[in-house]
Amino acid sequence: MLSCHPTIDILTDYSSGSLSLAHALGVSVHLDQCPKCREQVKRLNMVGAELFASQTDTVSKDHMAQLKSNVMAAINQADVTQAKQQEDKDVFSHIPASLRRLIPKGFNALNWMYLTPSFKLATLSNEAGGPQIALSRIKAGARLPSHTHTGNEVTIVLKGAFSDEDGLYREGDFISRDHNHKHQPRVTKDEECICLIILDSPIEFTGWVTRLLNPIMRHFHPNNALNGA
Amino acid sequence: MNTVSETINDSKNALLEDMTQVAVARDTRALERLFDHYAPRIRAFCLSAQPGANLMADDIAQEVMIRIWNKAHLYNPATASLNTWIFTIARNARIDYMRKNGRYQSDIDPEEFWSEMADENADPFREAQQQRDQERVRDGLKQLPNDQQQVLAKVYLEGKSHSEASEELGLPLGTVKSRVRLALNKLSVIIKR
Repeated sequence: MLSCHPTIDILTDYSSGSLSLAHALGVSVHLDQCPKCREQVKRLNMVGAELFASQTDTVSKDHMAQLKSNVMAAINQADVTQAKQQEDKDVFSHIPASLRRLIPKGFNALNWMYLTPSFKLATLSNEAGGPQIALSRIKAGARLPSHTHTGNEVTIVLKGAFSDEDGLYREGDFISRDHNHKHQPRVTKDEECICLIILDSPIEFTGWVTRLLNPIMRHFHPNNALNGA
Repeated sequence: MNTVSETINDSKNALLEDMTQVAVARDTRALERLFDHYAPRIRAFCLSAQPGANLMADDIAQEVMIRIWNKAHLYNPATASLNTWIFTIARNARIDYMRKNGRYQSDIDPEEFWSEMADENADPFREAQQQRDQERVRDGLKQLPNDQQQVLAKVYLEGKSHSEASEELGLPLGTVKSRVRLALNKLSVIIKR
């Protein structure tokens, strides 16, 4: 059962289309796994739809007729052959539909970077000047080095489970942390844990040795120019 | 029932019939009627976000009508009203246009995941429920106080985030958030959990 969901404010921004693409992707990954939030977004879409349908436009009839003939010409040429995607069930297990284009060949084919022997990271997308979208992969039973978030961070669990001071998080959970939050997550012993993470700015490790990783974390974040890396 | 709502329902059924004709019979005349109804609304929706951007509004209106034609087979009346389905396509097209034209520099394609949410388990019971919900939203919107209507229009039509809306209205972020929530509560849109 899912215990962590996006707030109604976030779902409203998602429904109205004003959420940044990176965060919208995170919400969408959660929606793939959460029927309740799907239903909630559907209802929020109804509000947008009614407002949308109640609008009027004052443009001339001639102008609209021109646009219409453009559309009719375009659809006559359009070749509506839908490429059928071959889906390999094994490769795609634990990868929600929203992420398949970014992880086309499964988790293992990604370009993973080891940060510690039990913790690696793969960047999926960097919006210029925007958040970093990455996957974290942590071995079963491992403890992540103690760290803080210098900006907001959203985590969605794709596989396995982890816990921290505040609780246990399982597949599909959507966890939003603000900066100032310092924590030390630990993965459950039964299996590895893979999470989608959306970082507004780089993670900062606070341990003695792991502090040495901070320049690397900054280097791989799209905001690195701002951080004076 | 009064005649006004009957007229609304008649025109809605006619649009739904046209949509079915587009999906099943590839009827171009039916698409033209859908164009007459929806294209002006799509233009207005774009102009709300970018006043005066007529070229963008024209481009998106055409693009959305073409997507409706190409995706017609994906529309399922049991999971979403036609208005809702077309609203989500228009919203995605608007995001996509802004992405390609600079507002969002990104290699993520909104069409990949900002889906029209094809729902697998649709049944007649849910279709009826869905229609009742939609009607309640429509009636409820008319009865909202002005300040709540204004903030919903900012969010949904102008596509402003809560924080952008708070800046433009000169209101604290908390006030904007609570107005949106109040409005959504009155429309019985928020699911308790």
